[in-house]
Amino acid sequence: MKTKKISEFIAFNIFRLLSLIIVLVLVAILSFIVVRGASVINWEFLTAMPEEGMTKGGIFPAIVGTICLVGGSMLFAFPLGVLSGIYMNEYMRATWFKRFMKLMTNNLAGVPSIVFGLFGMSLFVNTLGFGDSILAGSLTLGLLSLPVIIRTTEEALKSIDNTYREGSYALGATKLQTIRRVVLPMAYPNIITGFILSVGRVSGETAPILFTVAAYFLPKLPSGIFDQVMALPYHLYVITTSGTDVEASRGMAYGTALVLIMMVLVLNITATIVRKKLNKKLKVN
Amino acid sequence: MIESKNLNLYYGQYHALKNISLSMPAKTVTALIGPSGCGKSTFLRTLNRMNDLIPGVKIDGEVLIDGKNIYKDKMDIDLLRKKVGMVFQKANPFPKSIFENIAYGLRVNGVRDESFIKERVEKSLKQAALWGEVKDVLKKSALALSGGQQQRLCIARALAVEPQVLLMDEPASALDPISTSKIEELIHELKKDFTIAIVTHNMQQAARVSDYTAFFYLGELVELDETKTIFINPKKEQTQNYITGRFG
Amino acid sequence: MTHLEEELKALKKEVTIMFMLVHAQLAKANKALHELDKDLAHEILLTEKRVNAQELSIDRDCENFLALYNPVAVDLRYILAVLKINSNLERTGDIAEGIARFLLESENSFDKKLLEETRLTQMFDIAVKMMDDISEAFEQENTAMARSIFRQDVFLDEVNRAANKNIAAYILANPANSEQALHILSTIRKIERVGDQAKNIAEEIIFYIEAKVLKHSKKNA
Repeated sequence: MKTKKISEFIAFNIFRLLSLIIVLVLVAILSFIVVRGASVINWEFLTAMPEEGMTKGGIFPAIVGTICLVGGSMLFAFPLGVLSGIYMNEYMRATWFKRFMKLMTNNLAGVPSIVFGLFGMSLFVNTLGFGDSILAGSLTLGLLSLPVIIRTTEEALKSIDNTYREGSYALGATKLQTIRRVVLPMAYPNIITGFILSVGRVSGETAPILFTVAAYFLPKLPSGIFDQVMALPYHLYVITTSGTDVEASRGMAYGTALVLIMMVLVLNITATIVRKKLNKKLKVN
Repeated sequence: MIESKNLNLYYGQYHALKNISLSMPAKTVTALIGPSGCGKSTFLRTLNRMNDLIPGVKIDGEVLIDGKNIYKDKMDIDLLRKKVGMVFQKANPFPKSIFENIAYGLRVNGVRDESFIKERVEKSLKQAALWGEVKDVLKKSALALSGGQQQRLCIARALAVEPQVLLMDEPASALDPISTSKIEELIHELKKDFTIAIVTHNMQQAARVSDYTAFFYLGELVELDETKTIFINPKKEQTQNYITGRFG
Repeated sequence: MTHLEEELKALKKEVTIMFMLVHAQLAKANKALHELDKDLAHEILLTEKRVNAQELSIDRDCENFLALYNPVAVDLRYILAVLKINSNLERTGDIAEGIARFLLESENSFDKKLLEETRLTQMFDIAVKMMDDISEAFEQENTAMARSIFRQDVFLDEVNRAANKNIAAYILANPANSEQALHILSTIRKIERVGDQAKNIAEEIIFYIEAKVLKHSKKNA
């Protein structure tokens, strides 16, 4: 009895210690960036063009660029991903082909992002002739986030008890009506969560935009989908490794990092709130 | 009037229903009893072709509802399901308002007339003995209702499309005794207008609510008779062993 | 054996005891009548208390079983049968007690000729045997044996029907023994009722085993 209590005590404290370490690491990273970056951030930093070889001025075009890329990629990937997810979960029969598709989707999620970048370059930039452009970059980022959206959609649909579908069929509803009016509304919270999380992921990706859209230095806003843009993650990469004066732009780099982290953080928090709200509305968990 | 003739059902290789022939007179309650896996639920689901949803199911034989074979190729399944309503073991109200839950069956069947829908919602809720409890909160989520109320809501939802037949798959197995007796009372009322088939594991419930009882065992229909006869003087020993709890 | 079957078995044991008690009462009454054994008659009165207590106890067991087990089919028929058999037995016990009571009041032993002429001796023996048979039929769930009761009862009815004439003739021949003769007449009536009780029990046994309602059918009329 006593040894049982002791081992219980030890196990509990090990778990506590480990989670504490994780929280500490997170806090350390965040505070490191906040401390270094906070002093740089001001209204001008957020709204001005970069100047003097990116050692002065702001990061406005990079913010706009990232927003364009994220928006573009989701415009492409979200409908496609959700529809694929619906197809895979609601329509496909459990055959070897379905298993194969699932395996492929999972593998796609594991492909390094730089490979997506190369693929995007060869397909969108060169073969389809989009050039380095928002369109090419968005499509590449979209491809990258597709597997995640498909998977979360599928999981969201799978978690809905079959009795709801049967209840709908039993009233004479067709499959499409059932999916549209019963299944999807119930799956929304989790699908939306998947969406927002992939937005977070996409906004931080550097490799896929490297060869497809990102401009090294372009102090103006894009005027169309075939323009190049700057983007936050790439900008950060540039000014910390190969800027005109890496030392001089160190402060800017932390500021950029902080803005990027804030964006992702805000998105994640939004995801949580949205899911909670939707779930509450549905009252199903 | 429901009639099945030499109905066989296979799940892949598994012969789940063996040559079932029975008939249920109109406006009566027939209870389907038997141990788990005996085929009673499967049989119930052949009556509105719910088994069609399961891949690998093969059915031969006939099921006649009002003399029409529902397994004929030309049968419109959505129309059939409108005619043959179903209530499930677990109350499954949609995450919509009470009103929209009842209206659902009408809307998916193309009814647009809002005043007609309103009328029908009220009528169905009254039939399901739920109107008094929910008439002031029709806009509220159906999921806020208690388990027993949810199940009656599901019955009302099924009634809204004006079926002739009501299939109930263990409708009270997850409910407390009070809610259960309300459902049983309801069944008693509903049989004036509907033909009801109910699957139940609760022998006393079968005895209380049904006019006829069918005992299924290992995919076969062992005995079908008036409920009184089944519970006082069953003809087959298997039936007696089952209902007196001396099984196996 | 299931819990339910154990309960049923225990109940059956109690009913068997009831059968034994009543059968013993009747057998003792038979013996006491022939030998005018007042001690034996007294003993019957004492057993009657036990019989009544046993009847109440079986009634309660049946009520409990009905309330707690919700029996159906053969179990339900069994409990219903036991309830009725129980009261039939109790009444049979009452009859034996009635015979014992008037034996205690009688001063002289009965005229052997009277017993012979009215065939009471034979009748009483058969009634005791019927109780024996029906008890066995119950224990062994033997419907054939239960059915034999109807055949045996025919003789009891016959004796009963002939009793008025026989007693009247006896009184005419032996006016001094008229009171005794009337006692015997009432005893014959009582034994006839014992036969009826045995028949009722037989019907109940057949009902619970074969689910046939024999009562009020022509067959045993």
